[in-house]
Amino acid sequence: MPTAKKSYSTGAFWFVAPAMIVLLVVGIIPLLFALWTSFQQFILPKVHFKGAFAGIWPIFDAPFVWLSNYRDLLFDESFRDALGRSFLFLIINLPIQVILGLIIALLLHRPGHEWLKNVTRIALVIPMATTFAVVGLIGRLLFNGDFGINNYFWNLFFGHKMEWLADPNLAFVSISIMDCWQWTPFCALVLFSSLTMVPIEIEEAAKLETDRWWHILRKVQLPFLLPGITAILILRTADILKMFDVVFIMTRGGPGAATELISIYIQRIGFRSFEQGMASAQAIVLLIITIILSRLYIRFIYREV
Amino acid sequence: MKSENSTPKVNNEHLRYRPKPNIGHLLVLLLIIVFCVFPFYWMIATSLKNQQDILSPTPKFLFSPTLENYQRAVSKFDVALSLENSLIVAVTTTLLSLLLGTPAAYAIARFEFKGKKDLWFWFITNRMLSPIVLALPFFILARNLKLLDSQVVLILIYLTFNVPIVIWICADQFRNIPKELDEAATLEGYNSFSIFWRIGLPLVAPGIAVSAIFSFIFSWNELLYALVLTRKYAQTAPVVATSFMSGYELPWGQIMATGTMIALPVIIFSIIVSRQLVGGLTMGAIK
Amino acid sequence: MIRLIRRLALSATCLALTAGIAGAWTLEEAAKPYKGTQISVIFLDRPGYRAIMKMLPDFEKRTGIKVNYEIVPYESTLEKEVRDFSSNGDLTVALVDLVWIGTFADSDYIVSIDDLKKQFPNIFDPNYELSDFFPLLLNAFGTWNGTVYGPPFDNYSGLLFYNKKMLKDAGFDKPPDTWDDLLKVFAPKLTQNGKFAYALQSRRGETQSCDSFMRFIWPWGGSLLDAKFKSNLLSQQSQEGLNFRQQLIKYMPPGIVDFDHIEAVNALAQGQVAMITEWSAFYSTLADPKSSKIVDDLGVAPEPKGPAGRKPALGGFSLAVAKQANDNQKAASWLFIQWATSKDTAKEYVENGGVSGRQSTYKDPELVKKYPFIEPMVESWQQGVPEFRPRFAEWPQLSEIVAEVGTNMMIGSTSIKQGSEEIGKRVEDVLSKAGYYDGKKKLAQ
Repeated sequence: MPTAKKSYSTGAFWFVAPAMIVLLVVGIIPLLFALWTSFQQFILPKVHFKGAFAGIWPIFDAPFVWLSNYRDLLFDESFRDALGRSFLFLIINLPIQVILGLIIALLLHRPGHEWLKNVTRIALVIPMATTFAVVGLIGRLLFNGDFGINNYFWNLFFGHKMEWLADPNLAFVSISIMDCWQWTPFCALVLFSSLTMVPIEIEEAAKLETDRWWHILRKVQLPFLLPGITAILILRTADILKMFDVVFIMTRGGPGAATELISIYIQRIGFRSFEQGMASAQAIVLLIITIILSRLYIRFIYREV
Repeated sequence: MKSENSTPKVNNEHLRYRPKPNIGHLLVLLLIIVFCVFPFYWMIATSLKNQQDILSPTPKFLFSPTLENYQRAVSKFDVALSLENSLIVAVTTTLLSLLLGTPAAYAIARFEFKGKKDLWFWFITNRMLSPIVLALPFFILARNLKLLDSQVVLILIYLTFNVPIVIWICADQFRNIPKELDEAATLEGYNSFSIFWRIGLPLVAPGIAVSAIFSFIFSWNELLYALVLTRKYAQTAPVVATSFMSGYELPWGQIMATGTMIALPVIIFSIIVSRQLVGGLTMGAIK
Repeated sequence: MIRLIRRLALSATCLALTAGIAGAWTLEEAAKPYKGTQISVIFLDRPGYRAIMKMLPDFEKRTGIKVNYEIVPYESTLEKEVRDFSSNGDLTVALVDLVWIGTFADSDYIVSIDDLKKQFPNIFDPNYELSDFFPLLLNAFGTWNGTVYGPPFDNYSGLLFYNKKMLKDAGFDKPPDTWDDLLKVFAPKLTQNGKFAYALQSRRGETQSCDSFMRFIWPWGGSLLDAKFKSNLLSQQSQEGLNFRQQLIKYMPPGIVDFDHIEAVNALAQGQVAMITEWSAFYSTLADPKSSKIVDDLGVAPEPKGPAGRKPALGGFSLAVAKQANDNQKAASWLFIQWATSKDTAKEYVENGGVSGRQSTYKDPELVKKYPFIEPMVESWQQGVPEFRPRFAEWPQLSEIVAEVGTNMMIGSTSIKQGSEEIGKRVEDVLSKAGYYDGKKKLAQ
């Protein structure tokens, strides 16, 4: 074994190198440029392109301001509000998606109705595969105050219509519903896959001992589910913190700032106000937050295994 | 998947605490299907209606379908070209991601080396990069390299979020292959590359399929980079979908027709390969 | 009167003809050195651009210049252009919205017409006549700090569109002439049985800041900034206007803060509201039986007057040559711009759905009769405020602030006064950073 290990590690380099080099070139160079601009007062219409160093690294005449962008964002109330909104979105939607996903996974795992379960599995793929921009468009169609079908049913059951996209709270609810529509199926499929990993003998043995499904879930299935749940948490956290398409198309962050999630806010600063330096600083802070959260998920959820 | 066919008897016996498990199970499954399919169905239905039917305050479930929206959408924007671009970009970037990602995944799953955990996490971190901040640097770089409005630049950038997914999903699959197989193969004189190629890869086919599906879906659906980096000749399908959002006119029928044309190929593709989804979607992390 | 106009038009064509015969200047001749040049421009998905796209093959055939256009939604146009111009991109023509002229001129993205003329005297059509454009338009979106950069290309005025039948049923035989009438006399009678008197597009974005917010500042004598560029929103006039808007909300359909242009236009087209104030270009949507139920009852009038007079919303785009283009492209770009906005193409442009910014175009009685929006539009362009929205480089930032707080005001999550204070504070913050208060920058808007 030890000899084998040694030869393995030299081989490892050649396996990993291609992916590493490509990601370094494509991912790191632009990120470094973003980091560089985050120390500058980089307002796009006010800076001028001065050619490229070594044909690649672009040079602009933006004033260097050290950490002042980072200092400013600490005191920027709108940034904090938007970040808070994103976390609220995360805290509300992530548990809903994981729990609903788990329920669906358990239903799929449960014997019976094989044909219908196959259909369900296919149906689950649809929301996941729908283009995000199109999800936003569907959202605007469904939640339209006048002719939206959601309002039609709401009116049928409760006798009045709601201003889904014009009311600050309901707009937040609306984008949440669309996010759950799209991503609950993903959670369901990941967790269902994890359930199939449970060795059949162990599950059956457990079922002979107890007839409570939640005991089986906790004692037998949970350890197999945790990696999947961690993966979901990491992926969904990263995706929600950079979520843009659906919200932008459905509400543009409005009404007021009710649905201005952090990425919408950064986009506004970077693409609409053109304060690219400030936007870079904000995005880098956001990246650091995402990394810290992911680390925490890995550490705390895995520890329970 | 294997488990389902062999167990129903045992299970039913032990689920007797629910008086009529089957009816409830059936209804909930139906509910899930309706929940998933309805918005999509409504999009297709809307794409087949005329403007008056769409704007009717009482939704029209019965209507005389028309293909006019499709004709008009196709004549207004080059939907066919954008679908072709999306296809080329999504397929190429998926293949490249697999080519780059699977060996890396194999190494992470199979080899012991220093900093392995950090390397794995660094790969994953690439997925967290926000396109909003990388768009400008990419734009300038692409401009300098004369790659603006080309499929190449999109393919390269999409690697940043697809390679991590491939590595994540496949590493987990490789880890589940018994180590004994490798050792036996080493004794037979295989080198580590042929072990990976001949023994490893075939065994993780479900994982490869799943990561391919996801790469394809994510690349097909990407909007922000495509908006910034394409202009006319390399425009992808989602960019065209947002072209209608001029705030000036909102031809719902045409928008939904375009939406359908964009979403349908990837959904059909996903449905075809959806059998693979379950076996391969066990996403673990490095312990 | 009509006879006079006809005679004028006739003599104008005679003049053009004689010029042609004299062979002094033709597009073909002027374009010869630039044959095969490729130029790039951004277009919007709007009628004016569709009109010019339809006419382009003719231009390309006559000149051998290839025009590459990219169709972009309005909301991402500025971002695309700024990114391109600041990194030495490949656009050779700038599409300049009224509110971008300051940015583009100050950032040195565009070339002034005088400079072009000096560099390429031969490509200028002696018959072009810059002075034929409505002075308000040329001034508002073609000129910055006294320098002319480009001719108005796609032109808008805010108009009052109304449903004649609904007004008649409520006992009115003509539309309100003042905002006060609209609120006190018309609105109460027109808001009943699930129908509403008025809809005001107010969705967050430029729609809120320009179409909704600013529309209720100027006619009351208010303004966003005072002469020293400090916030003027707390002035009595500005406050009156904003309070007026708030009072009007109860006569608007619910969810008005989610209304973009199309929702407002639809509300009128479907007979749900009696009046909207919208851009002139929406006439074609409202007059099209496919999208409108009120084709026969459609009325068009200038926007109502406020206490300070008629100050309708003003908007539009000019085309200018980009500085980053090479010399051949510069010349070819100007030939394109000149052709697209020339007298000769104006009528065809209008008939294809465009709105020309030339005074001479609308002296054609046939056109005026065919398009009922022309008369009130021309009237609106006689007076107006070029800086309806400030046109300096900081406007996009201010627009975002106004859009956010403005919608908050409308839904009542902040009061008019508090909101105005907040906008004022944040606006002054931006302007102070930009250097307007320490004398570094000229106070131009």
